[in-house]
Amino acid sequence: MKRLVLTKDELTAWVRRMTEGVRVFAPVAVGDYDEFRLVDSDQADLIRWSYQNTRLSPKGLFHPQAERMFKFSTSKEDPEWNILKEVPKDFSPRVIVGMRPCDAAALKIMDVNFDTPEYKDPWWVRRREATTIVGLACTSPSSTCFCTSVNSGPFDTKGLDVLLVPLGDGRFLLDVVSERGEELCQQFGPGGKEADSEAIATYEGLKKKAEAALVPIGDLSPLKERDMLEFFNSPIWDEVQFACINCGVCTYLCPTCWCFDIQDEVYESEGCRLRLWDSCMFPLFTLHGSGHNPRAEKLQRVRQRFMHKLKYYVDKYGQGVACVGCGRCVQFCPVNIDIREVIRLMLVQCECAV
Amino acid sequence: MAEWEPKILAFLCNWCSYGAADLAGVSRLKQPPNIRIIRIPCSGRMNPKFILQALRKGADGVWVSGCHPGDCHYIEGNYYARRKFALFKNLLEYVGIEPERLHFSWISSAEATKFAAVAKDVVESVKKVGPSSRLIKREAEVE
Amino acid sequence: MFDYTEKIREIARRLLQEKKVDGIIGFKKGTIPMMNQPVFITSPDRVELLHWDSWCGVNLANYLPKREGRIGIVAKGCDTRSIVVLSQENQVQRDQLYIIGVPCRGMLDRRKVWEVVGSTDVKGIEEGNGKVRVWGNGFDLKLERSELLQNNCVICVHRNPVVFDELVADEVEEQSVDRYGDIRNIEAMSSDEKWNLFQEIFSRCIRCYACRNACPFCYCPQCFVDESRPQWVGKTIDRTDTLTFHLLRAFHMAGRCTDCGACERACPVGIPVRLLTKKLEKDVKELYGYEAGVQLDERPPLDTYKPDDPEDFIK
Repeated sequence: MKRLVLTKDELTAWVRRMTEGVRVFAPVAVGDYDEFRLVDSDQADLIRWSYQNTRLSPKGLFHPQAERMFKFSTSKEDPEWNILKEVPKDFSPRVIVGMRPCDAAALKIMDVNFDTPEYKDPWWVRRREATTIVGLACTSPSSTCFCTSVNSGPFDTKGLDVLLVPLGDGRFLLDVVSERGEELCQQFGPGGKEADSEAIATYEGLKKKAEAALVPIGDLSPLKERDMLEFFNSPIWDEVQFACINCGVCTYLCPTCWCFDIQDEVYESEGCRLRLWDSCMFPLFTLHGSGHNPRAEKLQRVRQRFMHKLKYYVDKYGQGVACVGCGRCVQFCPVNIDIREVIRLMLVQCECAV
Repeated sequence: MAEWEPKILAFLCNWCSYGAADLAGVSRLKQPPNIRIIRIPCSGRMNPKFILQALRKGADGVWVSGCHPGDCHYIEGNYYARRKFALFKNLLEYVGIEPERLHFSWISSAEATKFAAVAKDVVESVKKVGPSSRLIKREAEVE
Repeated sequence: MFDYTEKIREIARRLLQEKKVDGIIGFKKGTIPMMNQPVFITSPDRVELLHWDSWCGVNLANYLPKREGRIGIVAKGCDTRSIVVLSQENQVQRDQLYIIGVPCRGMLDRRKVWEVVGSTDVKGIEEGNGKVRVWGNGFDLKLERSELLQNNCVICVHRNPVVFDELVADEVEEQSVDRYGDIRNIEAMSSDEKWNLFQEIFSRCIRCYACRNACPFCYCPQCFVDESRPQWVGKTIDRTDTLTFHLLRAFHMAGRCTDCGACERACPVGIPVRLLTKKLEKDVKELYGYEAGVQLDERPPLDTYKPDDPEDFIK
């Protein structure tokens, strides 16, 4: 498909044109970190084209931390009391600009949960349908990143419609990688000029360099090949779990953690049913109404998080691990539980078993 | 439109202030009607959560009253309560809850006149700052 | 402080070999710069894993409640104060512990490093003579150690362990500082200003509970956040709920918090949660003359009273 080269001003102007027709979300600085926010035409030049990773992943744009699903009345005078009514949401077309390839790949991983042949989460599906994603290639990945080891990469286009590559000289290469990306460029002409062979060579070079900068964590195929119980019963969990404080940092920052809870809240005679993020790290996550908790111990919860990402998901869907190597949990776990190290331990214990 | 009247939630100790409220009533003492009473077994039973819950549910003021120091039915419940109240009142004021909304008193079951006077005082104080707008739990702000 | 590592290993090895303890709670070197991981060492062969540097801000006392057997624990001044509080509260027995005391010159705050270097991607860091060298993509800087201290360490007045069985080095000089300048500034504001300030501060909270869980004193079997009948606080990111959570969390620390800074350090979005706990600490000190975790045989301030406690706020 089409490849263009844009100056930064042209890029900003392109985004500004988009803001006049559709909702545009982009990374902007919020205090000392970056976050995806709705931007209007005046804010187009505040977009951070060089950010490392947003503190929270953009999954919240599809699977919000808390969302209102239904409303109801608890007043008996109301003829519709206790009837759940769906809350209208904005599914108008939108563009997410500047999403990192890993975060976009994460959406693909989450699709298997929210958008299956049997079950479709209506809000996830409609938000996905309404969204065009303009990615931003990672020319200098962080030292906590390991995307290339988990089926993604700093220039991975699998979750994207358009990929932007900062060429290092202030210009951006715009690579249209899907039909939807094509439509976006038809609706809002990006301007710029056709990429010449030199720009494409720079792009290839940057891609190679970025990929080479990522330290591989090893061959993950044993995760698939070995028996689940070998991992489950492995002594490594005792060591891995010790430091864990059972907070929700890893799961809330993770771009692929999709677990949620549903709660009702009532305010006088009205109420709503909310869906909110939950975390397998919290004891309440699996607490039964009977009082029994199948994962009462920290070890069980820690094991669950890693087994889900690295074994259950692999076995169930056959698409590799449920991790895109963004490194958020590595960087922000308050007690330095490093998923790369956990993977290494799982692989090592595996070799021992042979 | 009628003048705004505050809603005030009073947590009264069963052994003293609750009796004082009763006595004030049967003595026909004039007092403002803005106070809703919840009887508690001792001011020491008062959990800071109750105060927060009252504010969250929209009370314009909260008033906690127990036995005078030395008179606690359970010997020392109010002494413990006093420390909790001091710290919690300061904490709420520190985050911006107006001090006029939180009231504490010691009223024995014989002090009906004090009860009526403090009730009047509490209502006037809350009226000064107007309807509560902070810490009220409304429809969750989400997305 | 790097030289503490060898001494800690030596003590740990001896304790394990002599079977004085069943295990040692300490730190092992982290997988990324500026982080270390709490670790439980039970065999003398593994003491080489133990490590100490300026990034041991996690409060290891957090791993003590409900732990049985004889435990060796590496503890800074604030950690030992937490141990005192836990032992006052019967969560751990003093004679169960062998406290390897670490006189501390303050732990460093990686957020301050990120701010100076303008990036969260630090590739390496090393320290010596009061300077910290930090490098990464496009930067290599030498910074003053004193400017990178965690905020709680800047105003620390108990750098030396208050209880210990053995020290890894000579005691360091204690500081004499005003701990409550920022609190007084807030106290002097109007209600509106205070309200707006805290609304802003807590607006970024994502309710991950890292602040709660990093704290050695949050050991309740069920947190009020998880109670459902009644439900005291909603679980979304609604600002009223978030503030309710933080108020109650802080209040539960009244007279217990030793200002170890673990809560603030754990926060993934950089909320200065200590502004609340420090206010309570100040009030406890001014009203009841009490400082948490200094004397083993004292009762916590909310578990005791004096007949003439101040009550000028009571009608």
